[in-house]
Amino acid sequence: MREHPDGAALLAMAREVLRKELLPLLPKEKTYDALMLINAIGIAERQLQFGEQPQRAEKAELCALLDEEGSLAELNRSFARKIREGEFDSRAAARQLLWDATVQRVRESSPKALPAYGL
Amino acid sequence: MQAEQKKAIENFLAEKTGAALARVDSASLLSGGAIQENWLLSVRFEGGSCHGDLDCVLRSDAPSGVSASHSRAQEFALLTAAFSVEVTVPEPLWQGDESVFGRHFFVMRRASGTAAGYRIVKEAGLGGDKEKLAERIGEEMAKLHSIVPPHAGLDFLKCPSLSPALQGVNEFREFLDGHHTAFPALEWGIRWLEKNAPVTDALVLAHRDFRTGNYMVDENGLTAVLDWEFAAWSDRLEDLGWFCARCWRFGRFEKEAGGIGSRRALLDGYEHVSGIRPDPDAIFFWEVYAHVRWAIIALQQGERHVSGHEPSLELALTAHIVPELELEILRMTGVQHA
Repeated sequence: MREHPDGAALLAMAREVLRKELLPLLPKEKTYDALMLINAIGIAERQLQFGEQPQRAEKAELCALLDEEGSLAELNRSFARKIREGEFDSRAAARQLLWDATVQRVRESSPKALPAYGL
Repeated sequence: MQAEQKKAIENFLAEKTGAALARVDSASLLSGGAIQENWLLSVRFEGGSCHGDLDCVLRSDAPSGVSASHSRAQEFALLTAAFSVEVTVPEPLWQGDESVFGRHFFVMRRASGTAAGYRIVKEAGLGGDKEKLAERIGEEMAKLHSIVPPHAGLDFLKCPSLSPALQGVNEFREFLDGHHTAFPALEWGIRWLEKNAPVTDALVLAHRDFRTGNYMVDENGLTAVLDWEFAAWSDRLEDLGWFCARCWRFGRFEKEAGGIGSRRALLDGYEHVSGIRPDPDAIFFWEVYAHVRWAIIALQQGERHVSGHEPSLELALTAHIVPELELEILRMTGVQHA
């Protein structure tokens, strides 16, 4: 058992304090550093919120597409090699997997980019 | 700057200009140079070719000496070549060696203005009329591209043995092969580049980092094109594609030329000077290429942090730009499913 609030909730609160209370007090030349902190906290927070489920889903889809077993890193290495060799030039399932896995990473790293893609 | 170094610089400047006296009235270190060190100098000359006051920048390797793609001597040669065809660069003045400053360096005239991309795209009036600025950038690129190999003074730039596009494909794959993590979406983009790579009829001197953020403006317009460390013989469209790439529009996606103006204005400027009207469809290839190349550079920057060599929040966050670059690569190459 873990204490509440959990890590993601703590980061969300820390980000708000930084943005609302500390940022306005900082000298102008430190604004960029504070914005980077807010960004970094947000990424960590979203990774915690999503947890390991998206990684497990990606792994299962890669296993099915490649008909291989292995760690997620190994499967992605194999997927990358086969893309390079042209094996997936015209396979819709591969495109779907690329798109979905990339969208998930954008959800964690830079979700502000998504609306422009209708997401 | 230490008194001894300052004295050495004063002697150097007096000797180069034939002045009876050169006095450094102020020397301040400019921020933001991990690889290079830039000193802003105010110099008073008595006699000689620069009689009077001169504001200039002394650029040297940083003491930590991280190896960069071009040496200071090579950078001086690139600025000299660009200046000779009237590209708006800080005028390169003199170069010197370790015996003077402990490290290789050169001195260039100071250019004033701001380079901050997010401000240039946002603030009305900064950079003057933005459509005119886009046109001017096109003119600048065309002037630069009038330099072709072989060129005296630029023999350190190798001519690619493959087409520049395929050369890039090889370099990107070589990096990914040595990287600890695979990037299937980037591989997809690189495969697309390989299949769609154009033949480059004629190599030109390309800047290869010509984008908003790497030129300075004041309220009247362009004051200097900066950051020449990636310059190489390449396809003329590489610079146009890099400038127009969506990832370099600082959020102003509707302003297709660098977040500042229309693509038409940029191409008009290019055509005025060169007589060549680049084909937008052909530029599209280089916009995809730009996203792949920027993603690879972002991975390399992130790796400087991840490897533990250079802990930095900015470098760490740069690695997190990669997913959105990949998403755009997938969209551009027809993968988007939504």
